[in-house]
Amino acid sequence: MRPANVAVALPAPARQRALKWVLLGVLAAALLIWPLFTHDFFYTHIATLVLLYCIGGASLHLLVRMGQLSLGHAAFMGIGGYTSALLSTRLGWPFIPAFVASAIVPALVALVLGPILLRLRGVYFVMITYSFGELVRLLFNEWQSLTGGADGIFQIPPPHPFLATSREYYYFALLMAVLCVGFTGRLLSSQTGRFIDAIRESDRLAQSSGVPVLRFKVMVFVISCGLVGMQGSLMAHYIHYLSPGAFGFSESLNFLVFNVIGGMQTLAGPIIGAAFLVSLPELLRGWVELQRVLYGVILIVVMLYLPGGLVMIGRRALELLPIGKGER
Amino acid sequence: MSELLQVQGISKRFGALQAIELLSFSLNEGEIVGLIGPNGAGKTTAINLISGVMRPDRGRVFFGAEDVTGMSPHVLVNRGLVRTFQATTVYQDQTVRENVLRGAYAKAYPGLAKSLWRGPQGISRHDEAVIDDLLAQLGLAEMAQLTARNLPYGHQKVLGLAIALAAQPRLMMLDEPAAGLAHDEVVHIESFIRRANASGISVLVVDHNMRFISTLCQRVVVLHHGSELATGTPQEVTRDQRVIEAYLGTSHEPA
Amino acid sequence: MSSNLVIPIVFNGLSLSAIYILVALGFTLVFGIMRVINFAHGEFAMMGGFALFICYVQLGLPYWLALPLVVPTVGLIGLVAERIVFRPLYGQELPAMIAGLGLSVALADGAVVVFDVHQRNIPSPFDDILTVSGFTFPEDRVIVMGIAVAALIAFWLFIQFTSIGLALRTVAQDREMAEAQGIDTSATYRITFFLATAMAGLAGALFAQIYALSPYMGLVPLVKAFTIVIIGGLGSIAGAALGGILLGMSESFLNTFYGASVAQFASFGAIMLLLILRPWGLLGRPEV
Repeated sequence: MRPANVAVALPAPARQRALKWVLLGVLAAALLIWPLFTHDFFYTHIATLVLLYCIGGASLHLLVRMGQLSLGHAAFMGIGGYTSALLSTRLGWPFIPAFVASAIVPALVALVLGPILLRLRGVYFVMITYSFGELVRLLFNEWQSLTGGADGIFQIPPPHPFLATSREYYYFALLMAVLCVGFTGRLLSSQTGRFIDAIRESDRLAQSSGVPVLRFKVMVFVISCGLVGMQGSLMAHYIHYLSPGAFGFSESLNFLVFNVIGGMQTLAGPIIGAAFLVSLPELLRGWVELQRVLYGVILIVVMLYLPGGLVMIGRRALELLPIGKGER
Repeated sequence: MSELLQVQGISKRFGALQAIELLSFSLNEGEIVGLIGPNGAGKTTAINLISGVMRPDRGRVFFGAEDVTGMSPHVLVNRGLVRTFQATTVYQDQTVRENVLRGAYAKAYPGLAKSLWRGPQGISRHDEAVIDDLLAQLGLAEMAQLTARNLPYGHQKVLGLAIALAAQPRLMMLDEPAAGLAHDEVVHIESFIRRANASGISVLVVDHNMRFISTLCQRVVVLHHGSELATGTPQEVTRDQRVIEAYLGTSHEPA
Repeated sequence: MSSNLVIPIVFNGLSLSAIYILVALGFTLVFGIMRVINFAHGEFAMMGGFALFICYVQLGLPYWLALPLVVPTVGLIGLVAERIVFRPLYGQELPAMIAGLGLSVALADGAVVVFDVHQRNIPSPFDDILTVSGFTFPEDRVIVMGIAVAALIAFWLFIQFTSIGLALRTVAQDREMAEAQGIDTSATYRITFFLATAMAGLAGALFAQIYALSPYMGLVPLVKAFTIVIIGGLGSIAGAALGGILLGMSESFLNTFYGASVAQFASFGAIMLLLILRPWGLLGRPEV
């Protein structure tokens, strides 16, 4: 007697795709009902942070996929954040134009510096982006007349009076995260993404096929910095405060670690990385130092035993499930 | 027949080594020209200078009557000048098909905005058909889904050729396309090159194997100590006294 | 600029330089020989400071016993770190870098857990002020500089005149050739790491003695080492020395006249310029 299980009749790749849609559906539902489900504002707050950090993590992922590891990405987040904060507090700009500016200004900086910085690769690119990040942090700190110095900027207004509370802002952040991460995903799965990967795998070969490597890299760099600038603005208008310390080496490192821990080959990597690493410190509050020791140990352990990142756990789980062999 | 490529007196020095010295030759549309010389004669440097990887210290390169001296490699590809590499350069971790798709950048990349608009199904039907046709012509169709790393060496060389052809060049410069291949694989590569030439692509083949060059090329330029020693048909060149002297005791022919 | 300022600036510059060079040498050796950017390098300096604190202050050992103990102590910790964290990752530049970052976080915050986060001072065993032709020099700074210089000279003698030193230099220049000559590269790595961390530990102890000691102090030596090694060239020993002197002197000068922030800004600006114009540093070799 034949089982009535329709899934058996589907070929394996279609089964995997169906499973992916089911998982995405579950995730979407979970994200939508999250603030209603948890009464404690604290968990909504963590989720909002995770969503915002997904934007920056995904934006750095564009660079990572291109083979350029930046340790200065948070500087661009700061440029965007300060742009938006200053325009709205000092010049009284409404949120939308300030937000747009928060994408444009870091993108312009990337456009100017990109052709210089992106000639470097590997270790040298790490070092120069690190130095750039420190320079920008110093600028934020010292240029008191502009940025308020180490004290930071206070009373940054919410995007709209309606979005002043955490639950409403959560949905706003969810929308922005979906848009930004979706955009990034679309970019990576398009022809442009094909050549991003080609450049990473062999820029010599890509160039000999006609890819204008440096110009291409600058294009991706501009997009990446614009996106993380937007995160800066969204964070500023959420926390209503920003200071130079939020945009230093530690933050840049975080973005890189999301990518490395989550997995560098797919966009799911930094998303998982952000979810895991942003929520962990918040959940382990109370043992701040011990939890940071744990953070450091996790980095080492993942590098030693799971170099493909946490995404690999998901991949292997998919393989083990009884849905037949998938493609590749 | 018009001149497609004209190299005029290019020179290149690396420190104390004058790798190329006042090298001049030309290639007409539709020709298969060989550039031969013993190892160390500067053959790869010559290709590097013409294809834009390096800038010549002196001299000019003309492609289709345009001065392209020192232009970047990707610019030249867009003008129809493509080269391959000596060591097989393929995307090791990608499928054969993906490799060739990446080679088609110059013809198939629609730009940032359009690529976003089209999304994952970004390649047009037409471009896909061109690629599939190319794979079939080079005998790679059955292996299209195999990872390049797992291909036997001979097929990787053919794949390198496919990647170059995907750019639909006017002139293809091949750096030792038969190096390290067994005899029947060499025959295959020869036939693919001839077929490409028959479809209108001019070819510059660089190699140290005189027999391979003689079979394939209509005209040969002999390179010695960085400059042109002799030019002519393979028969003329192999009988040239200066060439014989230069070749005494150098490369042996692989089987 | 009056000579009243020159002498103290030069003196400060030189004593800073000596300590920085100690840190940078280890950093550049580890990169040159093992191609690893050890982000935890500063933490070994920090541990040297704490080792001195434990031996000299907590255990009450005499200074001339406590300080030399720091060297093998930190070196041994370095060997453990090499075995556990770095050895499995040789050849993988990026994972090694991230693992080093993880190690640095674990060590720094581990120190906070064990010692708490506050700054400590190590009481100086030398209270005198030396006066030479009208200029005053605190005795402990003179001694610290002397020790640092002595350590550098010892290192230089080692690297130039012993067979192990020759092996290290050979591996740093060309690993394949070194292996072809029969040099045991894995033993070389271990010795390198031991030396690098031991020197960093010594530098950290000297630094802690003059300034202050805290679990997060490792970041400063790391940045200095980074800067020096970029100036001098990754993997170049002479470059580290040159870079150290340039950095120490310019910092001393800029600090005195323009303040710490300007000095820092200039450092990072210089790094960026150098990386753009001459990424292999003043004395390094361009990588093919």
